[in-house]
Amino acid sequence: MRRINWLGLAFLSPALVMVTLFFLLPVVLTGFFAFTNMSTATGVMGGDYLLNTSTLRALADQGLPKETLAKLEAGGYRVDEAGLAALAAATSPATADELAQLHAGAEFSDRRDMERALKDLRANAIRNTRDRKAATELFKRSILNERFSEEAAFRAALSETGTRPELSDQITEAAFTGWVWTTDNVKLLFALPSTLRYAANTLLYVTLTLAFNVGFGLFLAITTFYLPKGQGALFRAIWFLPRILPPVLYVLMWRWFTWDTGFLSTVSGYLGMSPKNWMLDTSYHAWTAVVLINGFVGASMGMIIFSSAIRAIPTSMLHASEVDGASRWQQVRWIIVPQLAWPILFITCYQTLSLLTSFEYILLATDGGPGRSTEVWSLAAYHTALSNYGGNLEYGLGASFALVLVVIGIGASLIYFRLFNFKRLITKPLIEG
Amino acid sequence: MPAKNWPILLLLTVVTLPLLIMCGYSVIDAFTDTAPGSLVPTRFTLEHFRFLWEPVAEARGSIWVATANTFVFATTSALVVTMVSLTAGYALSRLNFPARGFFLAGLIVLHAFPTITLIIAIFLILQMLGLYDTLIGVIVVKTALELPLGIWIMKGFYDTVPWEIEMAGVQDGASRATVWWYLVLPQVQPGLMALILFSFLSGWSEYILPQVLAPGSDARVLSTYLSSLILDDTKADFNLFKAVGLFYATPVVVIYLLFQKHLMNIYGGGTKG
Amino acid sequence: MTNLRALFATTALVACGTAALAEDINITVWAGGSNDADSYRWEAIEIAADMLEREYALQGEELNITVEAKRDFGGWEEFKQAVTLAAEAGTAPTIVVTSHLDIAPWSQAGYIVPVEDYLDLDAWPLNDIYPNLMKIAAYDGVQWGLPQDAESRPFFFWKETLKGIGYSDADIDALPAKVASGEYTLQNVLVDAKKAVDMGLVEAGYGFYPRVSNGPDFAQFYQSFGGVLQDPETGKLVLDKAAMEEMYQFFVDAVAAGVTRKNHIGTEWSQWYNEVANGKAALWHGGTWHYARYTGQEGNADFFGTIQFSLIPAGNDKGHANTITQPLVYLLTDQQDDKVEEVAAQLLKIASEPRMNALHAIKSAHLGITKQQSNVELYSNNRWADEATERLLGTANAQPNHLQYGVFAETMWKGLEAAWAGVQTPAEAVAAVEAEMTAKLGDELIVR
Repeated sequence: MRRINWLGLAFLSPALVMVTLFFLLPVVLTGFFAFTNMSTATGVMGGDYLLNTSTLRALADQGLPKETLAKLEAGGYRVDEAGLAALAAATSPATADELAQLHAGAEFSDRRDMERALKDLRANAIRNTRDRKAATELFKRSILNERFSEEAAFRAALSETGTRPELSDQITEAAFTGWVWTTDNVKLLFALPSTLRYAANTLLYVTLTLAFNVGFGLFLAITTFYLPKGQGALFRAIWFLPRILPPVLYVLMWRWFTWDTGFLSTVSGYLGMSPKNWMLDTSYHAWTAVVLINGFVGASMGMIIFSSAIRAIPTSMLHASEVDGASRWQQVRWIIVPQLAWPILFITCYQTLSLLTSFEYILLATDGGPGRSTEVWSLAAYHTALSNYGGNLEYGLGASFALVLVVIGIGASLIYFRLFNFKRLITKPLIEG
Repeated sequence: MPAKNWPILLLLTVVTLPLLIMCGYSVIDAFTDTAPGSLVPTRFTLEHFRFLWEPVAEARGSIWVATANTFVFATTSALVVTMVSLTAGYALSRLNFPARGFFLAGLIVLHAFPTITLIIAIFLILQMLGLYDTLIGVIVVKTALELPLGIWIMKGFYDTVPWEIEMAGVQDGASRATVWWYLVLPQVQPGLMALILFSFLSGWSEYILPQVLAPGSDARVLSTYLSSLILDDTKADFNLFKAVGLFYATPVVVIYLLFQKHLMNIYGGGTKG
Repeated sequence: MTNLRALFATTALVACGTAALAEDINITVWAGGSNDADSYRWEAIEIAADMLEREYALQGEELNITVEAKRDFGGWEEFKQAVTLAAEAGTAPTIVVTSHLDIAPWSQAGYIVPVEDYLDLDAWPLNDIYPNLMKIAAYDGVQWGLPQDAESRPFFFWKETLKGIGYSDADIDALPAKVASGEYTLQNVLVDAKKAVDMGLVEAGYGFYPRVSNGPDFAQFYQSFGGVLQDPETGKLVLDKAAMEEMYQFFVDAVAAGVTRKNHIGTEWSQWYNEVANGKAALWHGGTWHYARYTGQEGNADFFGTIQFSLIPAGNDKGHANTITQPLVYLLTDQQDDKVEEVAAQLLKIASEPRMNALHAIKSAHLGITKQQSNVELYSNNRWADEATERLLGTANAQPNHLQYGVFAETMWKGLEAAWAGVQTPAEAVAAVEAEMTAKLGDELIVR
């Protein structure tokens, strides 16, 4: 029997709490959100019950009987006995009497007209605006534009309007302002022509950037390997900068480099070309920029891993090949690259996932433009959930975009476990063993 | 071989040129004025650094508040990540406890996870905890998202410590906790240092989390300060941007120059694509 | 309605002048899309706070109002994100200055409260605000906000270039009327722009120099070709495919003729302003507030001598010359303390007074919101405010306040971007737009 060391769980617990709360829980919640119609308009935390003209319009489309609609719509404000009594109680009987004299039995569809009626009071004027507003409410006989936080209260108010009970479920459902469960998001993902484009963009982005990362990382690792130590280290240090500089600043440098008034335009201006925005000129420019911006960052990872792998190659092998008269190219082709097969596979797997989900640099550089040509899936998720021209952020749809990435991420991880032989990673602890 | 090196050197210099130009002009333009359509600076000036003593525009916060926030944000998240990783990494590397394999596998999955796409859900949780739009909230989230990598790195460092050290300690009758504290920790000190630096830099650079989770002016950090400056369409003053950028990047560059070796070790397996 | 009595009781108490303790009220104002020139969006609230404190003091109530303003959000996107999430978290600013389009989703979500709950709309100065502007700040028959400013989005001509292609001074003076009557159309725009480019008066791509990012401006061109945004009968959004395609085609034609740059979208705003303010472009369109920018920061000393402005010309027989006004609105958010909402509403009322609004209108070159503003000398003596109000505001319409309008506008823009950049043909783009809108808007869309 292996001994179990509970210290292990104790040591792990702080990490577990944090990771669970801000990592696993969000994953689960994203899974739930993906199946809701949650948006700014529905709010995140439940909702109220509200009938307004928009709801009535929707209900009319659903085929609610005309007379019911008319009932819901009508009412408005009525100077009736009950209202006058309430007014008398709140202010004075004289006030109520004066209003009754002027407007008894009157009906107003508009709140403003009711307020005007109250303003007509001369002898018993209600001077304060707030008080007049409050008095107006005493005569309100419609539930239009009134927010009910409780369903029961809404239903009660609904039945007071004389709506047929069998219709109240339908009306209550339409009046609910909060989010509801739905599979529409998934359907939308398949129905929208734009999602296909985002998927294609993502594929292009990952493939190109990955190819650049591996290729250029390899190039840097090999070239710096052949340089004297100091020079090699210097170049590696420079190529490390893109990774270490804050993204906002790094992309700013690129913007300056490619902008209409920036470096490339100025230099091409010397050659007589008119200035242009080299980053956003066409979608080809944008793609080049996106791949290079990400690639410069990504290549340094390959550079470091490949460099240490190359240094691990026994120097005797390289010397032997030189004695045999092999050129450097042959050396690279037949000795170095074959030794790098595993590191290359590792970088490929690792960066596929991180590229799939990273959008920070694209957001800062092209923001998906021009013409959405560099809008990748993760950026689309971000845009859908967190930016909307009309102020209505679509959390639910955004979450379903994210969910696709989550599923791909988990799937890919499982494949990688097989590929890299997960068992090998878990060496057994020796002391309890 | 040196005789044959110049082609390589030339090739490398040419491909490195764009990067050198970008970095070089970031410094040059921050301190000089250049006429439009030219690349040759005409005069030296410190005017682009005026943001240090006055707000750049009305109703725009001071950079010092943002700097202080960034510093608190980066330091705190670095310390918490390191401390939590220190224990968790040890547990995963050395201790036998239930479901250890499961935790290890989970760690690797999380390590390469689309964190940022979870932001709406994260917002919701922060809000329930009352931490939305606070620096603490962003720190906690950043820390949690950084943890899987931190633990993974610390585990790697623990893995290299020889078992004999602990065996000897345990045979002398010390508890595992004592052995960890007195014997193992000193062995992983370089790793600890590297992880602190790494997480500090990562926090210092973070953009999207503070942008979305702490948009109020109280919790503004340098990355959001700079980006809102860039996004403001009234003036695309690249000299000013570069001066702010230089100010922002100084700690990064200093740390990088001093601790290059440590960092390269970690970034080799870093998170960024 | 249970606490009505309590309400009456408190006001009665206050009215009696019972000495009360000083009360601290904190008002936060967040203003989206605001530059330095727009500072009166929040400074007006600060001035109003001073007034209101005095008014309360005379009524025997000591009120200590502190106003805290914030405007540095990056862009509109970041601003809306921040307001939405803050409102969801219950930490929304008291007053928001934003686009009227946000009223629909934000009222539905319960983030904002109607100003009509607090203010007498029949009393001065609110009864002096142009009714069409008030309507824009209303949704579903409820007055949610108050217009903060008015503007409209004119078409601009660089006079010297026009003269270069053969216009006389009289022709140029007659141009606005010709545009309004539909005699001068977008087809003429293409012809004139092409002339200017061919004759070398402006560089290629600078003949017609449109806005560089999504905005209400492009809905104007949709209207120029007979497009309608909202069906007045049912309140549903309308996609007029023919108008949309012709609108896309217009921009594609402009690119093909070499008068507009294919990569125009995403041009830096600061560069754009500088170019149009100094005659690098022949024809372009913008907003009334551009006046402040052109004459101020960009250093155009003779606006009226160099630039002519008009409505956006009609595109074809079905459409007509038009302009869209997109007033920003003051909105009140739902707060824990009703007193804060009440005070904030009072502040909005004071800030809407003609003299106060004139400060903003003149500093930022927006148009006034009240009729009496023409009696404020600061405003009436300003040639731009005067002429622009007369030439543009009368026919201005607004985009609809509709829950899904954001989706509509974004999809329309995506289609335009794709056609403009040559990724899709106009017909393909419209087909994609139709598919996307039908899927997302469902019953709320009428396709024609």
